[in-house]
Amino acid sequence: MQKEDSRNKEALTVKRTGQRDDFFQTVKEIYAYKEMIISFVRRELRGRYKGSALGFFWTFLNPLLQLCVYSIVFSTILKQGIEKYYLFLFVALIPWIFFSSSVTGSASSVIAQKDMVKKIYFPREVLPIAHVTTNFVNMLLCFIVIFAVVVISGTKLDAVAVLCLVPVWIVEYILALGMAFIASSVTVYFRDMEHILGILMLAWQYLTPVLYGYDIIPDQYKLWFSLNPMTPVIGAYRTILYEARVPELETLLWALALGLTVLMVGWCTFTRLKRRFAEEL
Amino acid sequence: MEAEYAVEINDVYKRYRIYRDKGSELKEKILFRKRNSYTENKVIRGVTVRIRKGEAVGFIGKNGCGKSTLLKLISRIIYPDSGEIVTRGRISGLIELGAGFHPDMTGRENIYTNASIYGLSKREIDEKLEKIIDFSGLADFIDAPVRTYSSGMYMRLGFSVAINVNADILLIDEILAVGDGEFQAKCMNALREIKKNGATIVIVSHALSQIEELCEKSYWIKDGRIQMEGAPSDVHEAYSAETKKE
Repeated sequence: MQKEDSRNKEALTVKRTGQRDDFFQTVKEIYAYKEMIISFVRRELRGRYKGSALGFFWTFLNPLLQLCVYSIVFSTILKQGIEKYYLFLFVALIPWIFFSSSVTGSASSVIAQKDMVKKIYFPREVLPIAHVTTNFVNMLLCFIVIFAVVVISGTKLDAVAVLCLVPVWIVEYILALGMAFIASSVTVYFRDMEHILGILMLAWQYLTPVLYGYDIIPDQYKLWFSLNPMTPVIGAYRTILYEARVPELETLLWALALGLTVLMVGWCTFTRLKRRFAEEL
Repeated sequence: MEAEYAVEINDVYKRYRIYRDKGSELKEKILFRKRNSYTENKVIRGVTVRIRKGEAVGFIGKNGCGKSTLLKLISRIIYPDSGEIVTRGRISGLIELGAGFHPDMTGRENIYTNASIYGLSKREIDEKLEKIIDFSGLADFIDAPVRTYSSGMYMRLGFSVAINVNADILLIDEILAVGDGEFQAKCMNALREIKKNGATIVIVSHALSQIEELCEKSYWIKDGRIQMEGAPSDVHEAYSAETKKE
């Protein structure tokens, strides 16, 4: 107890100057505020569907209904000739929904806590982190439904491949967090960002092989698609859950490299912009 | 090795941007470029303050002199433009009581959320929960959603959390001006208790008598600089003399 307390105290010695914050200091501080992140996640998860008749059940219902819409359109009208299209789509759609709702939702994560940001100090990073983590927990819960659908479809999963889900989850979390840092801090200065992001994420969805497979992309565009950090992530999910194979190490490393790049850009953007949050809001 | 100072402010400058008529939409940004221009208001112009551990100090001065900005700089809500501010220990502020309360959650749940905003771990909050509830005097209502609370109860709960988080540095901005006489007396008693336990206290107030009662040192801030510092009675005398002259 004593030891934990003194460690906490050390993280609470803070130096502020006209220059940029020390990276390690900020990370240490965020770690010291982990309870705040946990309590925000708990609050958001519980509060999200409060007052609606189906309550928490919407977590599962919403993606299932989206699946119905896309499956009907793409397997009866825009036929693609993909076997078990519902499964092909579902294993990519759930991770996509996590990514897209993390980015669009986090745009307002700082603004929504305006009163607190203006009046109480806490590491501002906590807000987008809590938002992305909430959506991440939501996605993990949805994976229960995914596994159920996989079993019902009669696909036999490879045990090693299923273990590979863990790194894929982590990479996608990193990527979503990086984008969330950018979205949440830019929106404070430029409110239109929230609406622009809605369209941007729609475009991004169609430019990522979610509704269709990577194979049908014309060769001359394949390079551009591989620069999209979501392409290898979605690809890996599909390899594991649809093709029941272990994804190539190359794919995972490439996804990780892109994810870390986005996180770094996001972190730097946030660090610069957070300095005047309290004054802009 | 124990550092001697709880707060060190070294030659700090802070400017605020005052926008003429700020539009944050793209259309406004492009069409009305001119309105985005701003003038800079130098609020703090080279302040150096060192506050020892366990010391209680007061900042006084006219409205707009920069004393609240100084408090915000110490609380780390805003950043200095130049200079350096070092704070050692957990900071709690009686600046905005109950900021961050969620109306639909119970008093107890809000204690957890609120205390976590001050950087406490779950275990630390568990230990202090009883004391916080006890101090607030809201034991009967603690499991009711806070939207059912009166504004007085709201404040009591916020105050109770803020002073029970074992802060090393306590920042107070005019808070003692609100609430009824009984609440104010309770605040003062609690502050004396906290001070006795070794916490550092920084007060911004127009109520000079409260500062004299609690603080060893007073800073008179004028136009973003320190005009005078020293024993509260001396500083306040000089300050009152000048206010009267005007």
